[in-house]
Amino acid sequence: MKAIVIFFALVAVVSCSDECYRDVVATCSNTLSKQQGVLTQCDAKYGAIENLEGDLQRFANSLLYRSFDFLLMATHYGNYIKNRAGFEKLFRGLSDDLWDDGINTIKYMTKRGARMNFNNIASELEQEKPSLELFELQAIGRALDIEKKLAKDAFDLHKAASGHKNDHHDPEVAHHLEEKFMEKHRDAIRTLAGHAKDLSSLLDGPDASLGLYLFDDYLQK
Amino acid sequence: MKAFVVIFTLSFACVFANLQCEHKKPNIPTDWIDMGNPCVVKVRNHVMEELKASMQYMAMAAHFSRDDVNRPGFAELFFKAAREERDHAIKLIHYLLMRGELTSDVSNMITKNLAPNVTNWASGATALRDALVLESSVTKKIRGLIIVCESDPSFNDYHLVDYLTGDFLTEQYEGQRDLAGKLSNLEKLMDKHGALGEFLFDKKLA
Repeated sequence: MKAIVIFFALVAVVSCSDECYRDVVATCSNTLSKQQGVLTQCDAKYGAIENLEGDLQRFANSLLYRSFDFLLMATHYGNYIKNRAGFEKLFRGLSDDLWDDGINTIKYMTKRGARMNFNNIASELEQEKPSLELFELQAIGRALDIEKKLAKDAFDLHKAASGHKNDHHDPEVAHHLEEKFMEKHRDAIRTLAGHAKDLSSLLDGPDASLGLYLFDDYLQK
Repeated sequence: MKAFVVIFTLSFACVFANLQCEHKKPNIPTDWIDMGNPCVVKVRNHVMEELKASMQYMAMAAHFSRDDVNRPGFAELFFKAAREERDHAIKLIHYLLMRGELTSDVSNMITKNLAPNVTNWASGATALRDALVLESSVTKKIRGLIIVCESDPSFNDYHLVDYLTGDFLTEQYEGQRDLAGKLSNLEKLMDKHGALGEFLFDKKLA
């Protein structure tokens, strides 16, 4: 009889509160000793991470797959017909950066108690079949579009995390995106836009092929 | 009508404002490009195999990073392995480029179906075991690659075979020995000291 009373008292305590401490008390008590070691309330989740988890997973997958797109663009410029070592280096650098961003996003999610899901891929990414074997200026344009789309994804996440969507308010996610992602991408976008400007003026004249050669030489430095 | 004329002239203006973006394809002899087609296809496919292995390691790293798994040493080990597999893919791409390959059909070389099959592990030991199995399957595939590239009746590709045996297989065998040694230590530790064994082993890895 006494055991039943204690059990009901404990159930009451657990059900009226969801804190880790209560969980520990319940788990450590003799009556529930079979649940030993299972502390469901002692996770790293706080804020709105659960509501942002899906978007973060899609973002991480986009970063990884876009890094492969840039790797293939670099490959194209490394073949003997294109032979533009500067463009190869530019796109390889963009690939490495997105790869690192992808890994860092996965690490960040797990810091906040979220989990990665490699199957949660943005539908437009899965469906598209773009040609990545492009002429120099086209390739710069495509790279700029890719970087801007990723920047927009980050802005959308930031907007949700800033509380413009119900139950998504999470200033820590917003801060992380600002500090670890947005500043770097601002610079990547600016660099590519600068390249587009220079290259388009170099191609507008009788010395276009010499201009391309010199521009590639500049990119190798 | 007027609008039509405006659109018409605008489209003409666009055409005439075109920059010279495309340039003449150079005329280069191709008899120096001597890799056999079956071999090239195999190497291209192996780029994907390395990337698949990379994403499988990434899933292991993500699992051990979780707050309710909390094995940072294992997580770092597997993130590092994921990077190494990607580097292998890039090394193969560079090799093909050096041999005059990859001048076309590059866009479809990496497809977007790299999601790993397994994303949960019961313990550090099961993940190490899976990693060892994964490495030996990659080793087998490299051996398959070697066989195709050296037994092409029209062209025995000594050079690629030498690169694969010297560079790639060396790394595979060293990596496998390292994983087997780690798993051995972990299993012996856990035999008597289950949870404590894995905890201590993880701290040693970090």
